[in-house]
Amino acid sequence: MKNEPVDVLIIGAGASGAAIAWSLLETRMRILCLEQGGHLQDKDFPSRRDDYELSRYSYFSVDPNVRGAKEDYPINNSDSCIAPVNWNGVGGSTMNFLGHWPRMKPSDFRAKTLDGVAEDWPIDYATLEPFYEANDRNTGVSGLGGNPAYPDYTPDLPPIPIGTLGQTLAKGFNEKGWHWWPSDVSILSQDHDGRQKCVNAGTCDLGCAAGAKGGTNFTYWPILENAGVELRTHARVAEILVDSDTGFATGVLYFDKDGQLHEQRAEMVVVACNGIGTPRLLLNSKSKAFPDGLANRSGLVGKNLMFHPLTGVAGVFDKPMRGHEGPMACSILSQEFYESDPARGFVRGYGLHSGRSTTPMTFALGGYGIDNPIPWGQEHRRIMDDVYPYLAGLTVVTEDLPEEVNCVTLDPDLKDSDGIPAPKITYRLGENTKKMLKHGEEKAKEVLLAAGAKEVLTKGDDTVWWRAGWHQMGTCRMGHDPETSVVNAWGRSHDVKNLFIVDGSIFVTSAAVNPTSTIQALALYIGDSIKNNFETLFD
Amino acid sequence: MWTKAQSELLNVILDHLIPPRADGSAPGAGALGVAEFLPTATPFAEDPVGTVTAVLDHVSKTAPDFLSQSAAAQVAVLKATEAAVPAPFACLVRLTYMGYYSRPDTRPYVGVGAHPIHPEGYPVPSESAESLAELTAPVRRRGQIYRNA
Repeated sequence: MKNEPVDVLIIGAGASGAAIAWSLLETRMRILCLEQGGHLQDKDFPSRRDDYELSRYSYFSVDPNVRGAKEDYPINNSDSCIAPVNWNGVGGSTMNFLGHWPRMKPSDFRAKTLDGVAEDWPIDYATLEPFYEANDRNTGVSGLGGNPAYPDYTPDLPPIPIGTLGQTLAKGFNEKGWHWWPSDVSILSQDHDGRQKCVNAGTCDLGCAAGAKGGTNFTYWPILENAGVELRTHARVAEILVDSDTGFATGVLYFDKDGQLHEQRAEMVVVACNGIGTPRLLLNSKSKAFPDGLANRSGLVGKNLMFHPLTGVAGVFDKPMRGHEGPMACSILSQEFYESDPARGFVRGYGLHSGRSTTPMTFALGGYGIDNPIPWGQEHRRIMDDVYPYLAGLTVVTEDLPEEVNCVTLDPDLKDSDGIPAPKITYRLGENTKKMLKHGEEKAKEVLLAAGAKEVLTKGDDTVWWRAGWHQMGTCRMGHDPETSVVNAWGRSHDVKNLFIVDGSIFVTSAAVNPTSTIQALALYIGDSIKNNFETLFD
Repeated sequence: MWTKAQSELLNVILDHLIPPRADGSAPGAGALGVAEFLPTATPFAEDPVGTVTAVLDHVSKTAPDFLSQSAAAQVAVLKATEAAVPAPFACLVRLTYMGYYSRPDTRPYVGVGAHPIHPEGYPVPSESAESLAELTAPVRRRGQIYRNA
């Protein structure tokens, strides 16, 4: 079945797809977005249910293999120490992300030059800065200006409460003389732009029924739909089509809700399917001109997969920390150990995030992103009564360096509900990351004790959090050289001149911060570059 | 769902997995009725009834007098069962935790609200600008810590 051609076809209605659609609105081009999932209404979010925690282990799990919904694609993670997580639907993973909103730093764009590892980005912080600002305005960001860990900027809204837990930890950091700062978050501390402020529910992963979290289902999409962008849900793209004579993308084949195959033609195709979905789609788009997958003449589509490997350390304090109250992962962030210091024995660095504690069931089952229940019996009662309410924890969030062995490929057997080959993840921790995690764990212990913890709890092994593959980066990286990168400095495929990629797959390095703010800033920057290069866009 | 004999045995086991508080201020999982949750747990386990039955059968077989044993002896039987049939036992533990803490009336025992967390949420006061300024003062005093590039 054929549909009327459009000017711009965006694949994916998540963070980056929504942002670039907004950027291109002013061009008056006809924009269509195909989204494989549905548009879940906030009244259907599980946080309105009495038994809301149960949904984490079924239909609202962050893990598509647990959800197993028709719109989800399975991911073979048997060769990975981290399970990728996501959401397939309008808003993408901003539906269930936690709203942490740190920017990358100037040094993050220059890892090769400054530290002799990985590659430099083809752009720099100054280039992205105006797009960070524009995206922050569109999203609604809360935080405190004057953070000495960044070039100066001030979020529009005051910080969210850091709470008893954040205040306690902050005193520990001050005692050590180490950096910390209230977290920048895409969570509203005040009513803003017709949206309600955060009610401190503490379950940001279950969708934000208040609309306070900056998911694109609440930020960009209402504007986009009002402006005439067509959003076609339950439309799963199977393949990007290419004209064998011109080498240009001509559109896509997609399955609708009923499994019917459609052809959608477009002048320009924008891929926004995240660091796993995007290489999967390109590798599934084979043709005579691209036998190894579309836009893959470099052989780098799917390579250099980066996550942010995590581990956690918790302190038990004398008074209740009330860690279940307030935005789930966001209270304060220390970047004391972010920049490289050769004396530490590793390059690059990590952040110490004060995750608040989680809800009782999730804690009893091992914690967020971990499947390792606490003991049963009298010890269970002791832990729940005497430990759980008194916990304040720190999460060590490390920078992951790009390595080609860490990759996304197509699984030879596993398929989604439309019969499209599913991705397989091959991933293991690098030696640099292991050293960083160990260092971070030690420093977290130190600060917890300085903050007054009477006991410090660690996992006691060197594994990282399992269900923590939120940040999927690097699998279609940007660069000037077509031999060593997949897209150019403004997201255009080196091989297919009317194909753009705008999601986390184009990251050159991962930095050690949550990437959504940068993903969206990049999407706005690419949109701006498209507008600025309109006359010669496909040359 | 469960026979009378199964229910009796299961409730005792559940009360060992999540015991009541010594002062009686919080019930164990058996007394709370988690047994009724288990057959409904199909979204979380492939065959919850079969899994629980496997544990019950093992306990019945290895300790026919389980119900008349002392609490300490019962715990010993359960530890032996855990070692003998680890996968079903682990599944039972997991489902017991889910059944117990999905009940809103259990959350206040550990300081968490019984209400659905939306729309009410929790009242958390914001720190004043002055208190944040005071708390961040040492960090500001150090000055820039990022690298120029």
